[in-house]
Amino acid sequence: MSCTYIFLIIHISFQITNFAARNKRLNISKENIMENTSNGSANINAAEVAEFILDAGVFLMASGAHSGRVWRNCRRIAEHWGYRMNFNPTFTGILVSVWDDKDSENAVTRYKTAPANVVHLATLTQISHLSWKIADNEIEYDDARRELETIKQKAAYPFWLVALAVGISCGCLCTLAGGNLIDAALTFCGASAGSVARYFILKKQFNLFISIIIASFITTLIAGTDTIFGWGQAPEMTLATSVLYLIPGVPLINSVIDLLEGYFSASIARSLFAASILSSIAVGMILSIMLLGINNF
Amino acid sequence: MELLSSVLIDFALAFCVAFCWGILFGTPWKALLATGLLGGIGHSIRFMLLQSDLGLVVATLIASVSIGLLGIYVANKVHNPPVVITMPACITMIPGLYAYRTMLAGIKLSDQAILDKNPNIIPTIAHNAVLTFSLLFTLAVGISISALLLRNKNMKEIRFYKSKILLKDK
Repeated sequence: MSCTYIFLIIHISFQITNFAARNKRLNISKENIMENTSNGSANINAAEVAEFILDAGVFLMASGAHSGRVWRNCRRIAEHWGYRMNFNPTFTGILVSVWDDKDSENAVTRYKTAPANVVHLATLTQISHLSWKIADNEIEYDDARRELETIKQKAAYPFWLVALAVGISCGCLCTLAGGNLIDAALTFCGASAGSVARYFILKKQFNLFISIIIASFITTLIAGTDTIFGWGQAPEMTLATSVLYLIPGVPLINSVIDLLEGYFSASIARSLFAASILSSIAVGMILSIMLLGINNF
Repeated sequence: MELLSSVLIDFALAFCVAFCWGILFGTPWKALLATGLLGGIGHSIRFMLLQSDLGLVVATLIASVSIGLLGIYVANKVHNPPVVITMPACITMIPGLYAYRTMLAGIKLSDQAILDKNPNIIPTIAHNAVLTFSLLFTLAVGISISALLLRNKNMKEIRFYKSKILLKDK
C-alpha cells in the first residue's frame, strides 16, 4: 500500500514540474524564434525541413529514444531554421507539421513510418550532438543531411562481441542472484548461444518474434540441464537469469516515461510491443520446459 | 569487514553487468566505463539498503533514483544524453527472477494434478506479478528523473559546457 502512495506522490510531483517546465519552454521558444527569423536564416523551405526532421526523428524513435527526446531534438532543429513545428509521435511512425509564422503558404504536413526497432543508444548521442551543432550555427543544411546519412549507416557492435557481453552479463546476474560458478558458466553458455542464434535468424529476415521464441528456446534448453542433472547450487537462478538478455528493457522503460510525459499513444504502442516480446520469451521457455518435463521444475 | 567485502563483490559484479549491457544496447565506447560505474554504485546502494532490512521495492526506488541523479552529472562529463548511460545501469536491477516465477507458476496452473497438489499457485502468481511490475515502474521512475525533473537546467549546462570548449578552440 505504502508503495502505491509513493508512486502517486512522485507521479503528481512529476506532472507539476513538467507543467512548469513546459510553460518555461514556451517562453524560451518564442524568444528563440524571434532571434532566428531576425537572423534571416530561413531560406530553406518547409518541405526540406520537415523531411530532415522526419528522417532524424523516426530513426531516433527506432533506436530507443522516448518521445520527449525526439520532440526536443526536432524542435531545436526546426527553430534554428526559423520554423514552428508540432508533431504526433506514435511508436510506428511520426506525423509532423512544419510552418512559417510569416508566410502561410510555406507550410507542410508529412508522415513517415519508422524502421524496424533496433536499440542502439549511440544514435541518441550522435543525433543530439548534430542537433546542437545545427542550433549553434556550425553546420549548413546540406552538410547536416550528409552527416545524418553517415549516422544512419553506422554499424552496431559485432555479433560475437554482443554474444560475449550478453553471456558475461547474464552470468554475473546469476551470481548476483545467488548462483555459484557452475550456474554462472551454464548461464553464460545458454545466453551466448541464444544470442548468436538470434543474430543469424534475424539476418535471414525472419519475424522478430520468431527469432525471440527460438532464442529463448535454445537458451532454456541449455540452462535447463542444470535443473535436470542438479549440477549447480541454485538451478532456478540459472533458468531465470539466462533469458534476461531478451527482455525488452528499453521499450518497457520508455513506455513508462512516455506515460509520465503525456504521449499516451506512443506509450500504449510501446507497451504492447514490449508485452508481445515478453510473451514470445515465455512461449520459447514453455516449449523448452515442456520438452524437458514440467515435473522437474 | 565482511560487509565491506560483500559490497565490493556486489559492486564488481554489477559493474560487469552494466558494462556488458551497455554493449548490448549500443552505448558509445567512451561512455561504457561511466555506465559500468553507475550500475555498480546503484546496485551496491540497493545491496546495502537490503542488508539494513528495507523493503525490496523501496530499496530499488532509492537506488534507481540515485542512478538517475548521478547520471545527470556523469552524462555531462562524458558528453552524452543521460538516458544513454542510466538505461543500461538501471537494467542491473531488472526483476528477472520474479518474472520467471510468475511464468513458471502460470504454466503449472494449466495442469490439474499440480494444482491439486499445491493450491498456493494463484497467490504465488499474484505476488510475483505485482513485484515484477512495481520493480519495473521504479526503474522507469529512476531513469525518467533525469529526463523530467531537471530537464531545462540540464540542457543549459550542456550548452554552457559546449560553448566553453568552443572558446578554448578559438
